[in-house]
Amino acid sequence: MAKRYLILEDGSAYAGEGFGAGATTSGEVITNLNLLGYQETITDQIYHNQIIIFAQPAIGNVGINHDSYESILPTAKGMVVRDVTNISTNRLSRLSLDEFLQQHNIPGISGIDTRHLIRKLRQGAGPMKGSIVDVADAHAFDQLNATVLTNRQVDQVATPKPYPNPDTGKNVVVIDFGLKHGILRQLSERRCNVTVLPWTASSQDVLNLDPDGVLLSTGPGSPLDLGTGVLDMIREVQAEIPLFAIGLGHELFALANGAELKALPVEYHGSSHPIRRIITNDIIYATQGQGYAVIAKSIDRDRLITTYVDLIDGTVQGLRHRDFPAFSVQFFADGAPGPHESRDLFDEFMEAMTAREG
Amino acid sequence: MPNLDDIQKVLIIGGGPTEIGHETELDSAMVQIITGFKKRGVRTLVIDNNPFSVALEEIQPTNMYVQAVTTANVRHILEKDQPDAVLPSLGGLLGIRIAQELVENGDIGRLGITLLGMPADTLRQINNPAALNASLKEIHEPVIEAKIVATTDEAMGLVESIGFPLIVKPVAPRVDTNRTICENVDDMLTALNQGFQQSRFDQCTLERSVVGYKEIEMVAVRDVADTAVLISGLEDMDPIGIHSGDSILVTPPQTLNDREYQDLRDATFRIATELNIVGVLHIHFALNPANQHFYVTKVAPYFSRGVALAARTTGYPVALVTGALLLGQRLVDVKLPSRFVKQTAIMEPTIDHISVRIPLWPFQEVPDADQHLDTVMKAVGSTVGIGRSVEEAILKSVRSSQFSPRDVLPSVSNLTDGEMIRQLIHPLANRILVLIEALRRGYSPEELSELTKIDNFYFVKLRHLLTIEKQIQDHPLDTATLQRARYFGFGDGMIARIWQTDTAAIRELSAKAAIQPTYKMIEPTAGEFLEDTSGYYSTFEYENESQPLGDRTALVLGRGGNQLGPNSAAEYFTTEMLKQLKRAGYHTILMNTNPNAVGIAPEFSDKQYVDPIQLGDVLNVIQLEHPDIVIVPGNRHYLTRELSKLPLNLHVLPPDQETGKPAPKSATIGVSLFINGQQKVAVGVMDMLAPGMNKSLAQVTAFRMPAELPKAKRANLVELAKQAASERQMTGMIQVLFAPKSADSAQLAVVGVRPTRLTEMAFLSKVTGVNWVRMLTRQHIGTLDETELANISVDLNSTRVALMNAVFPFRQLHVLNRPGTTDQEVGATIAFGSSEALSLANLSDTDELDQIINRTI
Amino acid sequence: MAKVVVDAMAMQRALTRITYEIIERNKGVDDLVILGIKTRGVYLARRIASRLQQLENVTVPVGDLDITPYRDDIEHDAQTEPEVTGANIDFSVEGKKVILVDDVLYTGRTIRAAMSAVMDLGRPKSINLAVLVDRGHRELPIRADFVGKNIPSSQRERIRVSVSEIDDRDAVEIQQA
Repeated sequence: MAKRYLILEDGSAYAGEGFGAGATTSGEVITNLNLLGYQETITDQIYHNQIIIFAQPAIGNVGINHDSYESILPTAKGMVVRDVTNISTNRLSRLSLDEFLQQHNIPGISGIDTRHLIRKLRQGAGPMKGSIVDVADAHAFDQLNATVLTNRQVDQVATPKPYPNPDTGKNVVVIDFGLKHGILRQLSERRCNVTVLPWTASSQDVLNLDPDGVLLSTGPGSPLDLGTGVLDMIREVQAEIPLFAIGLGHELFALANGAELKALPVEYHGSSHPIRRIITNDIIYATQGQGYAVIAKSIDRDRLITTYVDLIDGTVQGLRHRDFPAFSVQFFADGAPGPHESRDLFDEFMEAMTAREG
Repeated sequence: MPNLDDIQKVLIIGGGPTEIGHETELDSAMVQIITGFKKRGVRTLVIDNNPFSVALEEIQPTNMYVQAVTTANVRHILEKDQPDAVLPSLGGLLGIRIAQELVENGDIGRLGITLLGMPADTLRQINNPAALNASLKEIHEPVIEAKIVATTDEAMGLVESIGFPLIVKPVAPRVDTNRTICENVDDMLTALNQGFQQSRFDQCTLERSVVGYKEIEMVAVRDVADTAVLISGLEDMDPIGIHSGDSILVTPPQTLNDREYQDLRDATFRIATELNIVGVLHIHFALNPANQHFYVTKVAPYFSRGVALAARTTGYPVALVTGALLLGQRLVDVKLPSRFVKQTAIMEPTIDHISVRIPLWPFQEVPDADQHLDTVMKAVGSTVGIGRSVEEAILKSVRSSQFSPRDVLPSVSNLTDGEMIRQLIHPLANRILVLIEALRRGYSPEELSELTKIDNFYFVKLRHLLTIEKQIQDHPLDTATLQRARYFGFGDGMIARIWQTDTAAIRELSAKAAIQPTYKMIEPTAGEFLEDTSGYYSTFEYENESQPLGDRTALVLGRGGNQLGPNSAAEYFTTEMLKQLKRAGYHTILMNTNPNAVGIAPEFSDKQYVDPIQLGDVLNVIQLEHPDIVIVPGNRHYLTRELSKLPLNLHVLPPDQETGKPAPKSATIGVSLFINGQQKVAVGVMDMLAPGMNKSLAQVTAFRMPAELPKAKRANLVELAKQAASERQMTGMIQVLFAPKSADSAQLAVVGVRPTRLTEMAFLSKVTGVNWVRMLTRQHIGTLDETELANISVDLNSTRVALMNAVFPFRQLHVLNRPGTTDQEVGATIAFGSSEALSLANLSDTDELDQIINRTI
Repeated sequence: MAKVVVDAMAMQRALTRITYEIIERNKGVDDLVILGIKTRGVYLARRIASRLQQLENVTVPVGDLDITPYRDDIEHDAQTEPEVTGANIDFSVEGKKVILVDDVLYTGRTIRAAMSAVMDLGRPKSINLAVLVDRGHRELPIRADFVGKNIPSSQRERIRVSVSEIDDRDAVEIQQA
């Protein structure tokens, strides 16, 4: 395998071995602390334009499986791992990680001291750009420094056109900001008749479909870059129909209801933090992936109730509207990858829809 | 739910002697739980009869019941001492069974005693697979349907509906047995006959076989408020059909996808809730690799080897946390020591390294045992390798498994093809070497996976190791190759062998090319927080996290995995030595690879390196830490020889058990002395018993103290012993051996002098109340107080007689029961009694001896 | 053969949702009091109150109402009116927003008796009804404001609610008579 380098904005360079595509890419470098689930992670659109450093040291062990996609066309910019195995004969898979990355033009680099990088980045070295390159010379650093990352991530990954995912149950509209398939799987398991709409849909577009419920999906990038139209849509819809928002959707729901957001000094992607469900005072675990958090002090207590909180970093993890059956969670309630106990929230959503019918 | 705040006094049921099935992990957990209880002001009583227990050193003699761990003895203590609660889970399956019997016969209820860790109903279910299956079925956990039969006729009636292969398991076994796989009616009848005998109800269960499925284990903790944390998943490399204790174990699991893993996590929590477990829980699952369906195969709500491994490999303080949970604290409220940044027990551990545990088997010492690995566990110990790749972890664990003192892997290239195939299908103790050999001969990973039911992934990894080995062969003394070899876990000794040079040359080359180990912390957050835990392992990467401990450091090399012989006693020695070094002001560093070791818990040393105790790895640690003292165990002759060539302050402790001098054929009395210069302290005069016909010294495996002799005679022997010791100019803890002058003579004569064996040193410490390990350690590090030593006066004529008897693994290994030899010991039991009860006449043969030592007091 | 129609998790969720709906409907928790109808309604009432406490950090008063045994799983004379035989309420309901809580809503007679009892105690601002299960077959013009789960049932079936405080587990089961 070819010798390649991971170079970072702070001037550091790490030698490793390339796998996947041979492309030279740049992106924001982030760390993922999950124990398993590399396929779900690399295909999740929240990692659009990002280079993911994996804490799990051995990657690729179970190949690529048909039922572990979170999107079909991954748009992450790279994988940084300690050790990669390219297995393609594992029971469900017909494809190795290496082949998969080649097909999608995503480079990987192995043989990297990922633990060192994670410790460094977690200690506030801050959001940092990086590149996977063939030669770590001045030119490569110049290129990296000159790279301007787009802030139109949602436009890049969300569907431009509506499409259905028919079934026989509740009529649910999903607003796509960079949807992960886990959300659709959870709705399918509950027999929901889903229509996915582009994120630019107006409240009229939504209400025309006469939905029983509306779900705001996960997605990449900053919620502050999406304008106010989407916030209007949320406000108008939540007053009429049960609403459930996840990830980026949650951040938008918070903004729509007067709360403010802050960018975290370092993005957190993991599933080991205990999250307190305030109403029952119990603990759940869920996969989290966030670069922003709702500022607790900014929450208007006459409009929103805080429903979940991260016990490790204190971030707000869930909100609910006081006047409407509208609620949101920061973490990925679909549990793909990661713990399943938060899938209960989809049942809550179903029951909110049922209750509205009376 | 009883109010746990009111608990002031707890009885811990101990696990008894080390045996196949449990090692020192129970003792290790017990020490930590006792410490936790003490901090919370709870008085702890312990019943145990393991002379090598470190936990027994931690409690007041008045709280200690050195008695056989039996239902009647436990009941007696409950009645006499009236504790508020009893804790069964530190006694393993034995503790669970005893607690259940006490519930069944009404004692627990009558005495108003609270059960810690699980309710009575759960105790019953753990002891009765059918009852457990019924309640698991109720919560929709898939279980293998087991049918109870009491006769072979009943079994025959079920054969058709279940089909072969099927499994026979005794109901409520008296011993920690396992299931027997039966391929046909004959197998089944044999297994049933044995099972009916082992069952307390003369019943067996029949069930479908899941042989060939993956075996996955999950370890979790849960609190009274139903909050649970998954500590770790463990993957058995070998499929179901080979006991998990005999399988290579990998953590975290490597061949599961996230969904499979999370499904098992969910199931673990549901089961913990259903069984209302408080504290630790270890569950085994059989996972069908074809369709991802799983079955629950074993529920173990007690401290097991799996729990010990989970604690070691994640750095999560399982026992410490469990201690708090047992007394009703909630996980959110448990405060961890400051070495954890967040000091919380409720972050789910996530790790960024891989651990591989390899079992150690006793076949060298018990060659007549059937050496095939099957559903009955035969391993007596294990050793763990930690690395940042599967290759590195596998190689480090294999290198630690003591195949070779010089750190090279033995070759099995002399196997014929036919023999190799047979061993692939019916594996032996050298399993891993045969797998590698098959790859070497060109078998493909897919073929081997088909043949062995081991996941293809592991063969891909092993084959990669062969590729690197080839590279090493092709590029002698090439630094890039050396870098790559070390990166994937090859030891200096292995590389030296291939390059036909010595370790020193490899180290020189490494130094020149700056190929140095980087030590990584074993901590539960995968680098999210800058934890300050004390466990490290080596790898060859960019960042080194281990800083030298500083001045006045002592590096203690452990003995590695448990094996037959004086190993439990050596573990006791090492742990007590660590405590002593710390007390003497040393910063202590332990290097060990035994995940079940007591001493490896962070409570006993300032720093732990989980790395092979091989020359290269030891030198790497020395190079980093510059210890003032290096202590090497006496059984590592090559290592000692090599280290003694270096300018190190080297001590050999625990002392070598083989003195090199010709030992006498037999001895009947041993007099132990502690010798420090001119000071000679008499420690004890004991009868040396060799149960059985042959009375050779190697068969002296039982000891009685004081020896059954007139008082004057004892004094006389002590004088003779002191003389003999003076003549031989020995120092430290020695034993002078006496034997009758002739077969019919009552006259005793000195027949030899040797260092006191580790087992007897532990025995002497327990009996005299003086910690002789401490004395010996002090003597070595020069802090022995001569006045204190002079003031020690041991009552050589105590009327309370103590007896220690070795435990052998013959029953579990299904070989003829017989008098064993010292190198076949797996553990020992200790008992006290009157001189009449423990008279020599009563101790004449093995069975009688066993009965006396295991009797109810 | 009993069939579980609401398991422990679903029961938790139903109470959670009812709690949120109470907040939505009442624009907060000011002046709220909760009255549980014995036996199981009392435990459900306490759970709702504890949820409100968790969320709003406000202690909402909880009281009990004891109604003569009037169980829908035994033969009964439809003409017999249930009566309130006791109340354990150490606060005034005057001007309060009362939430009545019961496990199963069936004919409506129990609720009618409960409402009379509340009115006897004072003059509340409003009375709302929260039930875990609405099984239909009303004999009076009464309906619940907050429903955990609608379980359309035949009159020959029995609905059994278990709560972990006294029954060792949380569940709603349906049984063929």
